[in-house]
Amino acid sequence: MRAGVTRAFLVLLVLAVLFALPRLTGNEYVLALGVSFAMFSVLASGLNLVYGYTGLLSFAQVGFFGIGGYTAALLVTERGWNLGWAATAGGALAALVGLVIGYSSLRLSRHAFAIVSLSFALLCMIVARDWVSLTRGAMGIPGLPVPTLGFMGREWRLSRPADFYYLLLGFAAAAHALMYLVVSSRLGRAMRAIRLNEPLAQSQGIDPLRYKLLALALSALLAGMVGGLFVFYLTIVDPSIFDFYYTETMLIMVILGGPGSFWGVLVSSAVLAALPDLLRFTTDLRMVLYGAVLIAAMLLFPGGVAGWLARRRWRRWRRPRVSPS
Amino acid sequence: MTTLLEVRGLTKRYLGLTAVDRVDFDVEAGAVVGLIGPNGSGKSTIVDCLSGFEPADGGHWRLDGRALTDLPAHRIARAGLTRTFQTVRAYDELTLLDNLCVAAQEEDGVGWLAAMLRTGRLRSVEAAATARARELLDTVDLAEYAQAPAAVLSYGQRKLLAIAAAMMARPRLILLDEPVAGVNPTMVRRIERVIQQLNAEGTTLVIVEHNVDFIMSLCRRVIVLEEGQKIADGPPGLIRSDPRVLAAYLGQRGAAELGQGRA
Repeated sequence: MRAGVTRAFLVLLVLAVLFALPRLTGNEYVLALGVSFAMFSVLASGLNLVYGYTGLLSFAQVGFFGIGGYTAALLVTERGWNLGWAATAGGALAALVGLVIGYSSLRLSRHAFAIVSLSFALLCMIVARDWVSLTRGAMGIPGLPVPTLGFMGREWRLSRPADFYYLLLGFAAAAHALMYLVVSSRLGRAMRAIRLNEPLAQSQGIDPLRYKLLALALSALLAGMVGGLFVFYLTIVDPSIFDFYYTETMLIMVILGGPGSFWGVLVSSAVLAALPDLLRFTTDLRMVLYGAVLIAAMLLFPGGVAGWLARRRWRRWRRPRVSPS
Repeated sequence: MTTLLEVRGLTKRYLGLTAVDRVDFDVEAGAVVGLIGPNGSGKSTIVDCLSGFEPADGGHWRLDGRALTDLPAHRIARAGLTRTFQTVRAYDELTLLDNLCVAAQEEDGVGWLAAMLRTGRLRSVEAAATARARELLDTVDLAEYAQAPAAVLSYGQRKLLAIAAAMMARPRLILLDEPVAGVNPTMVRRIERVIQQLNAEGTTLVIVEHNVDFIMSLCRRVIVLEEGQKIADGPPGLIRSDPRVLAAYLGQRGAAELGQGRA
């Protein structure tokens, strides 16, 4: 109980600092890091739900992200939609696509899903590049307009850099709150059970497919929505939104933070969102460096920081026992 | 006595081999039935088929009159037929309490939204599940580990945890797949006590085992399989002296020797 109060207090404190940041500093670079953190933390948290909780290695998250981005950009530029609805529609379409690829491949096996998800992400990029009449091909849709959000009858024009910072941070806070409700409830417990021992879960009446589809749809919804918001911050959407860079960054955040740990992944995405800019001097080497870290972490540190901490806590239960029976 | 489980013509083939060959049997409510047979006689295959983990190639089975044939595993479990596994399974990273509570959560009819929003109903069913989990942990002597992750348990303790988990949702019938294989004699007696206690509380059990003495002392009825076929079915006293059973287990000469030893 006390730990819960401390944690709630810490979360409120961090949120207060983050929301006060634009008033404390006019530094646009700091705000850009904040936007990057908000965006990546939602992507990583979604991947964590799919991979860390239900145990499905998914390369499809970047596809959901890009589908949301394209959908929102097209709805705003071609149909004149309000950004809020456009991003929601992007998220909904991504969730629907997630359900389709999940339902079709998960009945085979986890490995089938991993392969289908990878093919799906590659396919997204090809479609974005080659379906020129819809997506305008390799050049993408540049010069996305300054969007407006309708809120309680008032229009909010996102013209200053700080506006996007507030928007993405606010969305990320809501997305993480929703995610936390899921993973800390018994739904999260059932998902972890499925990852830890699927046949045992089935023998206890748990239908793994339903939970896997829930995780996939929820993560796709949030990834699609954050994609829809993020492209207006970039002011362009082109096929590079499906770049493997996003997948690799998400994976590294989840694996270093600790798959299956909500807080671990949140903290690691904050640290790693700041890191690329610290590593800016090695732009060319960055992906190689990420790859190396990813492999090293998989080999030496499979539970991430959170897993390592949990294992330390377990030690107190490992008293010397009579010989194992 | 009413019939709880009714199995007719159960058949399972792997490539050319018929692992289970038109097996019929009934299990009465409240019984503890042993299922024995030499290696490869089809005992575990029967458990896998009845619990929905392997598709059967023929036959049908009912629990309390309800057809379970060809249902997926989770539906069979929800219908009241649960099982344990030969290679003992547990959720290593979850606490023992969570290991047990998760085993009952699909049965209480509380939906996803209610679970997320922690409605009063959700909290009351979870509180009831936790109370039952503590009771079961007490029964299997693991109460002191309630908050420990399952990873810290010994092999025998994991077997006890698996039995407790199979009990969580108050099933009508449990299939125990080799509950004492690889367990030391002290733990065997403990598992035996637990099974007797669960049976006394009204649970029907079917136990697959290699340990014949364990089965003979625990069950009032034993079914013997050889090469996928049922070769004997009756009380332990009759099974012990059944010539086909002795031949299946010991070969003709061994059977003769055992016959003398007992005489």
